[in-house]
This record gives sequence, C-alpha cells and structure tokens, in this order.
Amino acid sequence: MALRDVKPTRSELISLKRRIALSERGYKLLKMKRDGLILEFFKILGQAKNTRSELDTRYEKAVERMAVANTIEGAIGVKSAAFSVNEVPNIELTSKNIMGVVVPEIKASKVKKGIMDRGYGVLGTTSIIDDTASSFEDLVDAIIKSAEIETTMKKLLEEIESTKRRVNALEYKVIPELTEARDFIKMRLDEMEREELFRLKKIKARTSV
Amino acid sequence: MTEVRSGLAPYIYVCTRMRVRKAKLLPKEEYLRMLQMTLPEITRFIEETEYKKEIDENAQFFEGIDLFEIGLSWNLAKEYQKILEITPGSLKQFTKAYLRRWDIQNVLNILRGKLQGMKAGKIKEVLIPAGGLDRLMLDRLISEDSPERVIEALKKTRMYPVLQKEFQGAIEKGSFSKVENELYKSMYAEILSDAEGGIKGGNDFISFLRLDIDIINIKNLFRIRADGFEEDVRDMMIPGGSFTPDELQTLNSLPTHDEFIDTLRGKLNRHPILEAQEQLRNIHSIREAESELTRIQLSEMERMSKMHPFSIHPILVYLEKKKYEVFNLRALARGKESGLSPERIREFLVI
Repeated sequence: MALRDVKPTRSELISLKRRIALSERGYKLLKMKRDGLILEFFKILGQAKNTRSELDTRYEKAVERMAVANTIEGAIGVKSAAFSVNEVPNIELTSKNIMGVVVPEIKASKVKKGIMDRGYGVLGTTSIIDDTASSFEDLVDAIIKSAEIETTMKKLLEEIESTKRRVNALEYKVIPELTEARDFIKMRLDEMEREELFRLKKIKARTSV
Repeated sequence: MTEVRSGLAPYIYVCTRMRVRKAKLLPKEEYLRMLQMTLPEITRFIEETEYKKEIDENAQFFEGIDLFEIGLSWNLAKEYQKILEITPGSLKQFTKAYLRRWDIQNVLNILRGKLQGMKAGKIKEVLIPAGGLDRLMLDRLISEDSPERVIEALKKTRMYPVLQKEFQGAIEKGSFSKVENELYKSMYAEILSDAEGGIKGGNDFISFLRLDIDIINIKNLFRIRADGFEEDVRDMMIPGGSFTPDELQTLNSLPTHDEFIDTLRGKLNRHPILEAQEQLRNIHSIREAESELTRIQLSEMERMSKMHPFSIHPILVYLEKKKYEVFNLRALARGKESGLSPERIREFLVI
C-alpha cells in the first residue's frame, strides 16, 4: 500500500485500525496454526520414518524371497503360481481432517491371504511359494500404510509452507504497511489539527488587533 | 490299464539303460565345483553338456537365464518322452501314470492363463510338455478360445470328470486351488486303483506311490501348520498313504511342534521318515523340512530300486534324479543371477 494512495481521514484511520486488529488476530491464529501443524508434522514424521524403514525391510525381504523362489522353483514355477492370483486387494479411500488439512485415510482388505485363498493348490506347489506370496502381501500392506502416512506428511508440509508464507506476509508486509499507513494518517491528522489551531490563533490575533 | 506281457528281457534291458543314464547324471562333486563358478562359467559348462541342443533350439525365442531355464526344462521333457518310448509293457503304464502330474500342471497353467486373458506366447512360456499331453496337444489347448473349450478338448483324458465337476465352482470362486487339489487327489486315486488291479509289478509301484503320498502329505502338514490354518485339512490331503485324512487332520490340530513330531513317530512303523525324526524336530524353516523329506524320499527310492532291480523303481529313481539335476542346475544359475552366496545356494540343491 503506497502512502500516497492513503487518504488521511478519520474514517480511514478507524478502518485501518480495524484492519490492523484483524490482521494481528489473524497473524496470531495463523502462527498458532503453523506451530500446531509443525507439531503434527513431527508426530507424523516419526511414524513415516518407521513405516519407511518397515517398507524398506519388507521390500528387501520380498526381493530376497523372490530370488530364492526363482532359485528353487524357477521362473516357470513362480510365473505359474502367479497365474493363479485372480483377486486384487480392495482399497477404500476416505479422508480425515487435521487442523483444516484434508488428508487421506486408506483402508485395505484382502491383502493378507491364507494358504487356501491365494488361488493355487497346496498339492502342486511348495512352501517357498507361500513364503514369497506372504512377503509380497506384507510389502503391499506396508506400501498402503506408507502411502497414507507419506501423503499426509506431504499435505501437512504444503499446508505448513502456505501458512508460513501467510504468517510472514502478515508479519513483514501487511501489518507493517498498515501500521505505517495508520501512523501516516495519524501524523497527517495531527498536522491538520495543528494547522487548524494555528489558523484559528492567527484569525483570533487579527480580529483582536 | 491293460497288462502287457512280453517276458523279463525288456525289463532287464530298460532297467539297465536307466542305471546307465543315472550314472551319467552330474555327481555331487560337480555341483560343489559349480557353486564356486561365476554365472558365465556355469553357462559355458552347461553348453558342453547334453543340454546344449535344447538351449540352442530356444535361443531365437528367449535370452539370458530364461533361455537357460527353458532349455533345461525342455531337455527334461524330451528325456521323459524318450523314457516313455523305451519302457515296455506295464512299466510304460506306470511311467505314464507317474508323468501325469506334468499334465495337471500344464492344463492348470493353460486354464489360469486363459482366464486371465493372457496371450498364447505367455502361456506357452510356463508349459513343460513332460507328461502324456505332447507339444501338439498343448498348442491345441492354448489355441482354444475359452477355458470351457479347453476342458471340452480334454474330454478323452482322465482329468475331464474332475475338471467338468469343479470348473464352474472355480470360476464362481475365482480360484483354482480346489480344482488343483482335486486333480492331484483323483490322479493318485486312479493310479493306486490301477496298480492294485493285479498288474505285474503293481506292488512295486504301489510302494512308491505310498511313499510319495506320505511325503507330500507330511510336507503339506508342515506347510499348513506354519501357515496357522486351523480348519479342516482333509480336502488338502491325498488318501492312500500311511495316514488316513482323519489322522492327518488330528496331526494338524496338535498344538506344539514336538507333539506333532511325537505323534507322527507313534503312527509310523518302520517308515523311512522315522530316520529323520530328530532332524525334523529341530528344523528352523519349512524349507528345511521339505529338503529333509525330499532327501528321505530319494534315498528310500534308491533303496527300493536296489531291492527290486528289474521293476519300476530304477525308472522312477532315474526320472526323479533327472528332475533334480535340472532343478539343481536351474538353482545354480538363478541363485548366481540373484547374487545369492554359494552357501545359500547349496541349501537349495538336492545332492
């Protein structure tokens, strides 16, 4: 807000004071929101670290099991068992609200299956196929959990970033400019009052002479 | 199954040929040497053996380790077909019966592939024509439009009644696990009933079948117990072995591993599995139990083939050992490709 555009009137001063009060209240609230979001973010960060390391462990285990399955059963045996899988996991996507941030909530069913539900029979396969299938089911489970937590984290980060920008804008731009405008109007009004007083004194002096 | 009487000479001839072929299989020392080789060295070594022909034949369709594996599997299939050609009379019938499991595997792969809408080439990659259904028949089945037509094309086979009965349920459930189990169960039931029908050498084949059934059932009990499946397991067990399905169900419901091993021991009388009781008690993984049971089965088959030198046993021992030679070579190549240590690969070799 350029000072030359400011009209030095009382009504403008009142309006500016109101805007300053509103901005300061908004600034405080946004600062609290930012701090709250940062706290939430650190909570989620801890979970995200755990789920990511769990995901890495499960991925390594699944890859290792696949290598062993290929070694024991051959790619033909593994592909043949994979042909039996007909059912894909059900993913249900809902949302929840963390301090105004809408984050996803992912619920999955039919990820972990029992020996009889995987589509292959026990009489034509060996236990390494069970182990490999189970490892990959665990991996899918970890991916789903990780997806929920990491998306939440990403959304929180975006919100923290935008809140931080708003807080900074209020702190370093909006409030100082409004305060400057208020001070300018105050100064101009005082100036005008003094001029008026001086003019009155001059008039009084002339009339008394 | 009809009996073919042609005297003892062809039996002696074929059993001797099997012994010669068995002697040509790679010895344990070769595997130990190969464990220390790199993948290119293993490939070169295999290229100098009888597997070269099949690897070269498939070189235009596959590459890398896939080519290696397909070559090994096709060699196994060809070898089995050759054995079928040279075995006489009832031995041929028993050998054919033994190879029926490959037909089940191939038919199930075709049905599952068709149901998933896979291309013919992809389905063909997982077929090993080592059973009674030859390449031409398998190609015909792949070219059928739908799973229903595949089943219709199998009308003249012994799999047809089970497929016809169970297929609709499998489609509704979206799972072929029951069909697979039922096919294997009916295969064993039919083979047992054929062998018990008074065919010459039938008793020898029955003794192999009983051992095979026991080993499969016990392996699966280990697997099912590890999975924590507490429901009725009778449907997943093959009748005809040392245990009835009810006894196997009781074994599965035992709470601890020690109780399971003790009850198993109590029920087995002079059974080869008894030799490995303590190893089975102290196993750390199901894989270890499976390996131990496979080792027991092979050594028992070897013992039976020595006790009955001119029976089905020498043929079965050769077929099994040939299968494990292919599995071992594949394990070496795949293990090396995956970067597994020689010690780890050694655990997966049947030597």
